[in-house]
Amino acid sequence: MAAGPYNYSYIFKYIIIGDMGVGKSCLLHQFTEKKFMADCPHTIGVEFGTRIIEVSGQKIKLQIWDTAGQERFRAVTRSYYRGAAGALMVYDITRRSTYNHLSSWLTDARNLTNPNTVIFLIGNKSDLEAQRDVTYEEAKQFADENECSAKTGDNVEDAFLDTAKKIYQNIQDGSLDLNAAESGVQHKPATPRNPLNTDQTPSKEGCAC
Amino acid sequence: MERIINDIVEPEDLKKYELLYNDQTRRGHASDKAQFDYAWCLVRSKYLEDMKRGVALFEDLIRRAKDDIERRDYLYYMSIGYTKIKEYQQALTYVKALLKIEPNNYQALELEKYIEKKMKKEGIMGIAIVSGAVLALGGLIGLGVAMSKK
Repeated sequence: MAAGPYNYSYIFKYIIIGDMGVGKSCLLHQFTEKKFMADCPHTIGVEFGTRIIEVSGQKIKLQIWDTAGQERFRAVTRSYYRGAAGALMVYDITRRSTYNHLSSWLTDARNLTNPNTVIFLIGNKSDLEAQRDVTYEEAKQFADENECSAKTGDNVEDAFLDTAKKIYQNIQDGSLDLNAAESGVQHKPATPRNPLNTDQTPSKEGCAC
Repeated sequence: MERIINDIVEPEDLKKYELLYNDQTRRGHASDKAQFDYAWCLVRSKYLEDMKRGVALFEDLIRRAKDDIERRDYLYYMSIGYTKIKEYQQALTYVKALLKIEPNNYQALELEKYIEKKMKKEGIMGIAIVSGAVLALGGLIGLGVAMSKK
């Protein structure tokens, strides 16, 4: 990446996590390409996508790492959690098991990201109301969440944008230190930064979950 | 695709999974999981020797693959590894094998496109070098013909 004119003033790193088949990649594609991928095969390792959004008049580039839900990839995909500013934790509203596993995904997200990482819960496949297996109220009790459909595109924008708004708010009120090695946020990037890992004790406060 | 190809492993991760793998090997036999995790880190290393070793470990894993899902995962990283090593022909062979299993796999289609673009770019350079050699050879033959006519 050469230094040059940028048409955005921040970069936020996101990760998308959750069980296999909940539609993580479909969410990414719906958000970055506004297309629904039917018959989407299981992700191999990680996928990457970007999109520039606007929050409070600021252009922000979202760099999104979409991780494979398969158990085989679990160990190595953990390294992508580091330095994430936002984590979208996804379950499938028609499959209770994917909801039951959220606590394990949340533990990973909390242990492997920094205390200011915004964790956002997403119940996907809201178009399949007839097959619903987890009520909105129940999930709402677990966390502030958003139900959406990668298929119809309903609320997908909001899931990504609300997370960005929360991160931006954390920057504004000073709770997110931009100079911290793993904030997951870069301000007016001139040169790409190599996020070297530092030891940190995970103590989560103020996350959305 | 560029970002995936240029994704570099954190040195500490590489070290961690290397230790795990070596430890299990020393005790007799490394599990497929340990081998997979280590290989995945190796292909994302910035060192050529590591990438080659990673690809070799995947080549070993694929021989024992139990199903097509496992096979396609290994094929993908073998293809990524060969792309990084710039052995595009091999990279293309493996990504095409993956596409036989899952013809609509988006990641594989993107990778195939990326490899073909690289081959085209570097292939043109290859042709330029070859045609330079042909010109020189043509000159020599011409000289030879001219001389034999004397």
